[in-house]
Amino acid sequence: MLTRREFLGSAAALPLALSLQRPPVRVAIVTTIYKYLSHGQHIGDRFLIGYPFDGAWHQPNVKVVSLYVDQKPEGDLSVERAKEFGFKVYPSIAEALCCGGKTLACDAVLIVGEHGDYPSNDKGQKLYPRYEFFEQCVAVFKASGRSVPVYNDKHLSYSFEKARTMVRTAHEMGFPMLGGSSLPVTWRLPQVEMPHGADIENAVMVGEGGSDAMDFHALEGLQCMVERRRGGETGVRAVQLLTGDAVWKAIDSGKISKKLLSSALSRSDTPLGLSELDGRVQDLMADGVLPGLVKNPAAYLIEYRDGFRAAMLMLDGALKDFNFAAQVRGVGVFSTQFLLTPIPNVTYSACLVQKIEDMFTTGRAPYPIERTLLTSGMLESCLDSKLQNSARLETPALSVAYHPV
Amino acid sequence: MPKKLAAVVTVYRKYSHAQHIVDRFLDGYGWNGEYHHPPFDLVGLYVDQVGADDLSRERAQRHPSMTIYPTIEGALTLGSGKLAVDGVIFVGEHGTYPKTEKGQVQYPRYQFFNQIVEVYRKSGRSVPLFNDKHLSWNWQWAKEMYDTARSMNFGFMAGSSLPVTWRIPQWEMPLGANVREAVCVCYGGVDSYDFHGLESIQCLVERRKGGETGVKWLQAFRGDSFWKALADGVWPRDLTQAALCRSHTLTSPREGFNDMMPNGEQMKQLVKDPVAYTYEHHDGLRCSMLLMNGLVKDFNFAARLDNPSRVVSTQLYLPMPDGRTTLANFFSPLANNMERLYTTGKSPYPIERTLLTTGLTAAGVDSLYAGGTRQETPHLAIRYQTPKESTFERS
Repeated sequence: MLTRREFLGSAAALPLALSLQRPPVRVAIVTTIYKYLSHGQHIGDRFLIGYPFDGAWHQPNVKVVSLYVDQKPEGDLSVERAKEFGFKVYPSIAEALCCGGKTLACDAVLIVGEHGDYPSNDKGQKLYPRYEFFEQCVAVFKASGRSVPVYNDKHLSYSFEKARTMVRTAHEMGFPMLGGSSLPVTWRLPQVEMPHGADIENAVMVGEGGSDAMDFHALEGLQCMVERRRGGETGVRAVQLLTGDAVWKAIDSGKISKKLLSSALSRSDTPLGLSELDGRVQDLMADGVLPGLVKNPAAYLIEYRDGFRAAMLMLDGALKDFNFAAQVRGVGVFSTQFLLTPIPNVTYSACLVQKIEDMFTTGRAPYPIERTLLTSGMLESCLDSKLQNSARLETPALSVAYHPV
Repeated sequence: MPKKLAAVVTVYRKYSHAQHIVDRFLDGYGWNGEYHHPPFDLVGLYVDQVGADDLSRERAQRHPSMTIYPTIEGALTLGSGKLAVDGVIFVGEHGTYPKTEKGQVQYPRYQFFNQIVEVYRKSGRSVPLFNDKHLSWNWQWAKEMYDTARSMNFGFMAGSSLPVTWRIPQWEMPLGANVREAVCVCYGGVDSYDFHGLESIQCLVERRKGGETGVKWLQAFRGDSFWKALADGVWPRDLTQAALCRSHTLTSPREGFNDMMPNGEQMKQLVKDPVAYTYEHHDGLRCSMLLMNGLVKDFNFAARLDNPSRVVSTQLYLPMPDGRTTLANFFSPLANNMERLYTTGKSPYPIERTLLTTGLTAAGVDSLYAGGTRQETPHLAIRYQTPKESTFERS
C-alpha cells in the first residue's frame, strides 16, 4: 500500500518542505452551512485536504483552527470535519475567531455566506447574512486591536450600501479583503486575457441559471474583462434590466450587439433544443432560435461613467455555459468561454482558493475588492430596474473607480 | 465553385462520430469566435448501417444538396461512375460489427478504404481522404492503407480529435524538447479509447529532439499486474500524480468530499479493471498510457523533460456530451484541420502519427491477449518529423 506522501514522489516533496518552514496561516471559517457541495464545503475542504494546482496536489500552508456554521441542515459535515482535522466548531463567530479565547486567535478569515435557508426580498435576492457576519468579524478585530485578511465568497451583500460599508471598513482598518466569484479566475477557452488598456468599444456576456445567484457570476465575468479597458474602471452611471420581448427587440435594434452576441454564443459547448435532441450543431443566432428556446430572457444593460456600455444576457433554455465577447479597437472581436468544470469536483473553485490562499499568505489581495463591490451594486441596481418595469436607473452611488491589477 | 465532398460512414446516429463530423460540414460550427460554415458542398453520402435511430435521412432532407447513395462508389461518383468530388470524409466508427477473438470491433475501414481508392484508380484521379480514428484494427491492413495512399500520392489524414482539441492549460510541447518519460492517464475501453490516449501522448512527444523514431516494444498490464507495475515504478508515479492533478473529474475516494486525491489503496478500490500500455521508442523514450476507469473521465498528460529538468502536464480537454455538454465540440478543431486537408490537399499533421498509434493499439490488444507479455514491435520503427506549427485549438 502506498501512502499519499510516497505517491507524491520526490518532485512534489521539495516545495512542500520549503513551504513548511513558515508557520501555517491560522484560518477561521465562517459559513452559513457546511454540507456536501455547498460553497462552504468545497472551498473550506480545499484548505483541509489540498487541491490541484499547476499540475500538482497543493497542500496550502494553512491550518484551519475554527469553524462557525450558521445552520446545520441534514447532511451537515461540520462536526465530522472538526473531529477529523482537529479544530473546533464554535457557537458564535466571535468565539470562532478567538478560538474560544478573548482575543483574535487566527491569521485570516474565510467567510462563505452562500447556501442555506434564508428569506428573500421583493427583488428576489436571498438575504444571506454576509454583512452581518463581516460586522461580527470586524467587532472582534476592533476589540483585539488587530485585523487579518478576510475573504468573502460571491457578492459582498445583496445591498450595495452594506457592501460599500464592508469595503470602507476594510480600507479604514487596513486589512486586505478579497471577494467574488470563481468565474474571473477559472480557465478560459481559449486561454486569453483582455490586454491592459484595451480600447473596448462594446462587450456582451451570456450566462444562465437565474437570479440572484448565477447573474452575479455572469456580471463578475463581464467585469473582470472590461475593467481592463483604457483608463481603468470608472464606475457605473446607469443600469437597465430588460425582460421578455424587450430583450429580443434590443438585439434586433442593435442596442445589444448582434455581432458580439453571436460571437459569445459561438463559444458555447452547451446549446440546448435541437442539439440535445439529435446532437446537431446549431447557430443559436439563426432566425427565431433564441426566442424559441428562451422563455424568460433577461438583459442587464450597464452604462459606465466613461461612456462605455456592456450587456449581460441570462438566456436560460438556450445554453448552460458562460461566454464573453468584446469589440476591441485595433484587435477586432475578442471572445472566450469561462469554463465551469463538472460537478462534483468543480475544480474552478480550486482556482479561486489559490487566490484566497495567496492573500492569506502574502497579506495582499490579488485583485481589487472594488471589482466585487461594483458588481454587487450593478446586480442590486439591475434588480431594482426590474422591479420598476425595466426603467433605466441612474446609479450615482456606483461611482466605484479602480485600476485592475 | 466550392469544392465538393463525399462522406462514407458506418452509421449516422446521435453522437456517432459520423454525426459529429459530417454535421459540422453540413450545419457549420463555432470557430475562432464566430459561427463558421465550411466552404465546401457535401454532395454524396454513403451510410453502411441504417437503424431506427438513423439521422442521415433527416440530414439529407434538410440539406437537399446532399444525396444518399446505396454504394460507396455511388457517393463518390454521384452516380456517374467517375469520381465527382474533391475530397472524401471517411468515418468507420460506431455501428454493429463482429469482434475478433481478441475483442477488437471489426470496423470495415480497410474494406471501405479499398472501395474508395478503387474509385480513384478507375477515375485516374485521387483526392484527399480523411480517415477517422486509427486506420484499422489489423496492423497489416493499416500498413497497406498507408502504403497505398503514399503510392497514389493523395493527401491522407487520420486520427483522433485529442491531438487537436483544447488543452488546459493551453500548452504545447516545445519543439526539440528533451523528453525523458511521458504518461497519459485517461479512461475508456481497449481498442477504443486506448487509441485516444496513445494519440494524446504521441502528438506531444513526437515534437521531441530528433523527431519520432518509432517504437521498439510494448507491454500491457491489466488488473493485479497493473497495480504491481505501479508499485514497481514501471511507469513514474510522480508523472501519474501530475497527470491526475490536471483532471477535472477525479473520483473522490470518500463520501462527503468532492475533490480529493485518492491514495494507492483507495485507487485500487475505485479502479476495478485498470489497463496500462508501456512502450519504448527507439531513442529510449518511455511512454505509458493508463486507462483508469472509475478514477477519471478525461485525458491527462504529463512528461519529464531534461535541460532544464522539469515536469510538464496538461489536460487534453474533451467537452463531452455525456451530461457535461450538449456538443462534442472537440470535433470542431478536427473538422477545421480536415478543411485544411481538403483546401490544400495536404494533411496538416503526419499520417505516420496515426500509423504508429494504430500499431500501438494493436500491440496493446495483442499483449493483453497474450496475458501481458512484452511485444517486440520491429514493424513500428516508424520515423517522421512533425511540422513546427501547432495544430491544436487555441483561438
